[in-house]
Amino acid sequence: MIKRILVCVKLVPTATSVEMDGQFRLKRDGTSLQLNIADVSALEAALRLKAATPDAEVVVLSMGPAKTSQTLQELYALGADRVILLSDPALAGADSFATAKALVAAIRCLGDFDCLLCGRRAIDAETGQIPGQLAAALGIPAVTNVQQLTARDNGFLCQRRLENGTAQLEIAAPCLLSVCEYTYPLRLPGIMGKRRARDKQVEVLTAVAVGLSAEECGLRGSKTKVIRVDTRAPGLRKCRYCETDVLAEKIREVQL
Amino acid sequence: MVSQKALQHAEKCRFCWMCRHLCPVQHQTGKELNTPRAKGLLLSMVSKKSAEFDRDMAQAMYECMLCDACVNDCCTGYQPPLFIREARTEAVVNELAPEAVMQLIENVETSGNIYGTVKPSFAREGTDVLVYIGEVAACKVSGMAKALLNILEKTGIRAKVLDNEPASGAMLADLMGYVEEVTQQASACADAINAAKLPTVVVLDSYDAEIMKQRYAEWGCEIKAEVVTATAYVAKLLEEGKLAPKSKKRGSGVCHDDDRLARSFYEFAPVRAMAKAAGFDLAEMFNRERLAKSCGSAVALGYMPEITIKVAGGRWQDMIRTDAKAMLVANPQAYLCLSQCVPAEKELVDLFTALDESL
Repeated sequence: MIKRILVCVKLVPTATSVEMDGQFRLKRDGTSLQLNIADVSALEAALRLKAATPDAEVVVLSMGPAKTSQTLQELYALGADRVILLSDPALAGADSFATAKALVAAIRCLGDFDCLLCGRRAIDAETGQIPGQLAAALGIPAVTNVQQLTARDNGFLCQRRLENGTAQLEIAAPCLLSVCEYTYPLRLPGIMGKRRARDKQVEVLTAVAVGLSAEECGLRGSKTKVIRVDTRAPGLRKCRYCETDVLAEKIREVQL
Repeated sequence: MVSQKALQHAEKCRFCWMCRHLCPVQHQTGKELNTPRAKGLLLSMVSKKSAEFDRDMAQAMYECMLCDACVNDCCTGYQPPLFIREARTEAVVNELAPEAVMQLIENVETSGNIYGTVKPSFAREGTDVLVYIGEVAACKVSGMAKALLNILEKTGIRAKVLDNEPASGAMLADLMGYVEEVTQQASACADAINAAKLPTVVVLDSYDAEIMKQRYAEWGCEIKAEVVTATAYVAKLLEEGKLAPKSKKRGSGVCHDDDRLARSFYEFAPVRAMAKAAGFDLAEMFNRERLAKSCGSAVALGYMPEITIKVAGGRWQDMIRTDAKAMLVANPQAYLCLSQCVPAEKELVDLFTALDESL
């Protein structure tokens, strides 16, 4: 029986083009933010699991600037039981490793869970690394690219998207499931849900509160550093098709 | 209070005032608060905490037909109905909506329709198409529903009508915005339509057709059958020669373009084809097709009858300027509103009935 579902969500810029600062970080100030599209599916999956298991609790966790709390507050109206924002200036500039580390620290503070759901990738950075890093750090099994999800007695039945089809997988709880975008359309908030949400506040956690030192956070705690960003000039591709018997010669020509 | 997207629309206004000239409610009430731009400004003030969302402001959000006239001509892509619907949601959530609105919502909750009565049944078995009558036609404009079914019968089409036809969600969406309660109605309606397993659903009320065609898929409750407006369906029967109206001159008439048919589906020709087939010589109003002016809605007639009748009166004024004898209508909500104030020596004609009589 599912008792607790955690959902990790990220707010991403709604704009189709976003500027970068001197350290190649996205400038999120001044841009409007929305729930990452794959996280929408993860959240809806969690709410559907909760609807099928009346005593289950949905806890939403997000990491981001304080201004995101207003948008996150709206998740109470959809049926989230707790919404937690991990927000600290020290966390700014985190790469996927430092982000996963911070999220794991927060998840450990939140206690046991049956399932950790997240989107398979965020549309702003597109690394898709967080789900795997979370599962590895938490020591739990994971299924990525889930596009259908059903609760079973002690776990879940998942349909996983593959390059050439799908696979049905059973996984025991506790586990991590990363959900594909457009899998489940997010429900609209109801009148009663909105009334309940009026009295609820987003819980804010700081890096210190989850036991992280300054060295583990943000840029300082990151394993990678962006040293250059190139934009692809249009019209420069020189793709040519050739037979396999001349391939070796062509590769030598272009000095690959 | 409203979503970021809605607020962006509210704050997009360039103060050109075109919406002021197009809004049918502003025309009749003369209140500045009844311009779409003023409603946007109010919500912008609330977001900046320079005003509170109170009963008066909620009232202003309901003094709108959600007819999209303002959207049609706005150079900024401004969509007032988007933030007006969200503001209505907030009004209901915070118990600030007008009492008459709350009464209609209660009616929907208790009886499934805004009238709070048992909806008359048009149930019948058929194997060719499903006809969705809708609550306004069923409860208030039954002649139009009967005429549509007669037309289909005369063509040899076996039409099915559901027993206990569920609400589409269109009424509730106008009363409280797009919320979960609306999607629950939509989902039940889609399930009932899908269970009929017929290839086509012919929808009489454009408000129902609009929500079915433009919202259901987005909410994950897609109708498997093809959704066709009753006007388009009947016009196609005429075009294919499956209906043979007797030649009978009925004098001059102007077609009222229903705002949702006109602006959601760009559907103008079918109603004119029906009018010609029924024997009318057509004149045209200036505010026609995509510029069509609303004559009110059944929901608005329910919670603000005085203003809605004035708006319907405004549409009659447009018609009077044409010197035509009859206002020709093929939508139950338009018929209901216009029937509240038919001017002397003018005639309101339900085109389905007129066509049925000519067969």
